[in-house]
Amino acid sequence: MKRSHLLLAVIGIAALALFPVGFHNPYYIHLVETIMIYAIVLFGLDIVVGYTGQVSLGHAGLFGVGAYTVGVLVFKLGASIWLTVPAAILITAGFGALLALPALRVSGPYLAMVTLAFGTIIQILINEMSFLTEGPLGIKLEKPELFGHKLDDREFYWVVLVLMVLALIVVHRILRSHLGRAFEALRGSPVASDCMGVSVYRYKVYAFVISAGFAGLAGNLYAYSEQYISPNTYNFELTVLFLLAVIMGGRKSRIGSLVGATIIVLLPKLLDDIEMFRYVSVALAVLVAVSAVVGIRRGKSTAQQMAIPVVGTLLLAGLSFKLQSMTDWRLSIFGVITLFVVYYLQDGIVGFVRNALNLKQTSVADQQAAIGVVKGDAVGTAAGANAAPELLKASGVLMQFGGLKALNNVDLVIKRGSIHGLIGPNGSGKSTMMNVLTGIYQPTAGSVAFAGQSVVGRTSSDIALSGIARTFQNVQLFGEMTALQNVQVGLHHTFASNLLDVALRTPRYKRESAHAASRALGLLQFVGLSDLAFEEARNLPYGKQRLLEIARALALDPQLLLLDEPAAGLTAPDIKELIAIIRKIREHGVTLILIEHHMDVVMNLCDTVSVLDFGQKIAEGKPAQVQADEKVIEAYLGGTVAE
Amino acid sequence: MSCVFPFQSPAKATMQILTQLVFSGIALGMIYAVIAFGYQLTFQTSDTLNFGQGDALMLGALVGLTLVGLGVNYWLMIPIVCVFGAFQGAVVERIGVRPAIKIKSEFGWIMSTIALGIIFKNVAENVWGRDDLKFPSPLPESPLHFLGANVLPMEILVVGGALLMMLAVEVFNRKSIYGKAVVATFNDRDAAKLMGINTGLVITFSYALSSMTAAFAGVLIAPLTLTGATMGAVLGLKAFAVAIIGGLTSGMGIVVGGIILGVAETTTGFYLSTGYKDVPGLVLLLIVLAVRPAGLFGKTAIKKV
Repeated sequence: MKRSHLLLAVIGIAALALFPVGFHNPYYIHLVETIMIYAIVLFGLDIVVGYTGQVSLGHAGLFGVGAYTVGVLVFKLGASIWLTVPAAILITAGFGALLALPALRVSGPYLAMVTLAFGTIIQILINEMSFLTEGPLGIKLEKPELFGHKLDDREFYWVVLVLMVLALIVVHRILRSHLGRAFEALRGSPVASDCMGVSVYRYKVYAFVISAGFAGLAGNLYAYSEQYISPNTYNFELTVLFLLAVIMGGRKSRIGSLVGATIIVLLPKLLDDIEMFRYVSVALAVLVAVSAVVGIRRGKSTAQQMAIPVVGTLLLAGLSFKLQSMTDWRLSIFGVITLFVVYYLQDGIVGFVRNALNLKQTSVADQQAAIGVVKGDAVGTAAGANAAPELLKASGVLMQFGGLKALNNVDLVIKRGSIHGLIGPNGSGKSTMMNVLTGIYQPTAGSVAFAGQSVVGRTSSDIALSGIARTFQNVQLFGEMTALQNVQVGLHHTFASNLLDVALRTPRYKRESAHAASRALGLLQFVGLSDLAFEEARNLPYGKQRLLEIARALALDPQLLLLDEPAAGLTAPDIKELIAIIRKIREHGVTLILIEHHMDVVMNLCDTVSVLDFGQKIAEGKPAQVQADEKVIEAYLGGTVAE
Repeated sequence: MSCVFPFQSPAKATMQILTQLVFSGIALGMIYAVIAFGYQLTFQTSDTLNFGQGDALMLGALVGLTLVGLGVNYWLMIPIVCVFGAFQGAVVERIGVRPAIKIKSEFGWIMSTIALGIIFKNVAENVWGRDDLKFPSPLPESPLHFLGANVLPMEILVVGGALLMMLAVEVFNRKSIYGKAVVATFNDRDAAKLMGINTGLVITFSYALSSMTAAFAGVLIAPLTLTGATMGAVLGLKAFAVAIIGGLTSGMGIVVGGIILGVAETTTGFYLSTGYKDVPGLVLLLIVLAVRPAGLFGKTAIKKV
């Protein structure tokens, strides 16, 4: 973190800590307290929404579980805060797991609906299980005691503040660690994550469970803060409000969460005060109109684009003078704001400000210096050099999609340390073979053994960790992450640190993290991308993206590397460079399978070449042999034409 | 719902109650099927769903109630409500879904249809009030005796009406050139566009159809339940459960799924507690998604890398 950021954070926290000293009005103290509590929920929700890119409509339910854990423990057992805080976190995390294990097998709208169903079930259960929860009556409780002293409003405020800051630090550390990178990676490309040994399912569940833990902590504090809990608080509207706060504040940003929490807490208060609302809506209309004019003048947006927000805010301003009370229309206002944010403020307020002020992260040189000098050879030497000469043996592989046999009884033997070419016309089954080898497809019949172990039936991430890395025909990078981070995801397997290590920054985590960063930089250097290390992967030119995929695959320390058309879209000098890189990879003892249409690359590099056509192997042998094979010529050119 | 007859053996009475529960379950299930059918319609053209489908149903019912209150005949009211529903669906598509499709944002359409649903609900609360209202039944409310159980004439109307509605839309989709456009749009939106199909219009139309069926379901179910601004939310969610159970692409599946859920619900409501009646559907949703994400009748798509 930059020093100026740290300074700002310290000033902010100090201001929050001193707030109750300056303002004695309990109403305002409670308001800020609520903002901080919501912020804790949002830190967690941002992990799911911002980083893994899933929509959760169940967080109000989880928040409720946290609150009711406290309520029940205090009401039935008179438990102290020392028990309720960990209990709320653990029990809510448990509920999160209960939801996540079945639900996270699906994504997108399905997941949204499932989490919504979960939230609804929680609300029904709280209402109905009155023997435990007192049902619709709710539970009253008092502020907790700490060291035998019953906290008053102000002291509890400080407790909330301390826990909020702790939550902030922990979330920040998690998201900066290999765990955070895994979360972001599975959003960028689930397939690639799996093939980098980062199990998509497992990390989605982790993200959800961690997120639930924070919701539980917040629910706990909320119960003490309100001193009364009832089932109807934790409803659908609250869940939508949380989501709105995350996107309005700004995804992938802790400041965004704080801003979002402030807005959703203050907005209803604002709407209660119709006078105030009129001023604000007029100011908003003026602001939008002015920025629209500026935008159009500068050619950044067209009149058509800006028409809807301008007319919308003007209407809102007009409406505020017409209506006597806004309270009843609160939800409609939230709905309109949601629509606005979804379409016009996708990066949230924080993202908008960042764009407007053109804030750029630290310079490349500084960041490289921060990572430190690369020591030794970044590319790992492949394990098992002295083991059996057959690294991979596939026999009788059949892959059937409906009536189509994409692979029909294919045998393939790959010798350790060789470069094995796999060629054939489009649609001949080369990429299908890759997908079978890496566990993306389960073959209909046949066996695949890698280093003596069967890979059939194992998950992609498991296979990847056992030593098969790959690149993709359609580049599958983690677009929003930097080149360096992409490679670091590949290095995920080098981490033994767990959540606790990350949260506490133990020496073990620090050591592993520093090592991974410098090795990632070394791998980028190996493929010649170290200057672009801090560029987002989606901004790299196509050819560089392909090289980045190779660097990322090498990070897995593979014994076998599958390259799916690495030269596609590369210029002639780039191809030369690629050939040199592939040679260097082989020198490290890594075995390669190369799918390629550039025949000169194949002929230049490969020790053995197998040719597929219509899912069947039609030829195999030395490159020159295969090139002269009549069947191969026929498959490529149709009919017997001499070359 | 429970009516025990004094002069019958307990076993026979139990059987009767069960039959009755099954009948009301079927009626309820058909409503779920109709709403789920609406999900399928939009999913087929655009891979999107209206998360405010339940609110479309609620609006249909409330508009119907107002029309009946103004003295419009129930049967005459139905087509008017259908037109209203279609209009409402088109609005949802234009405001909520189209911009999201344009920027290819899944998060976008999920959030915006939820937001529109919330707005509709809030507007309904302000226009029709927060209390549940009674919808006058167009058919006699005295039950008919059928297989030894009591069946409300309205329940028969619900089943018949729902089936008829789905059949009509299905025939229209299959026989008309529009239907072919829908299939083409579903298979490949870009290719369909290049073939001169106005895919935007097809999607708008599918939303209009979808909300129309929901509004229709609203006026069908309203005389059996109470009508109010909050009636839609849970219905929409449970209909999604049905759509998932049946598969988002299977027409037969949703009818079966709807009946399973409807019966599960009426029996739970009777034997356990009415408070729990929403639970089986939601749990079923969780289980089906965990075991077979494509639904019981749907086909699993092959992922392409």
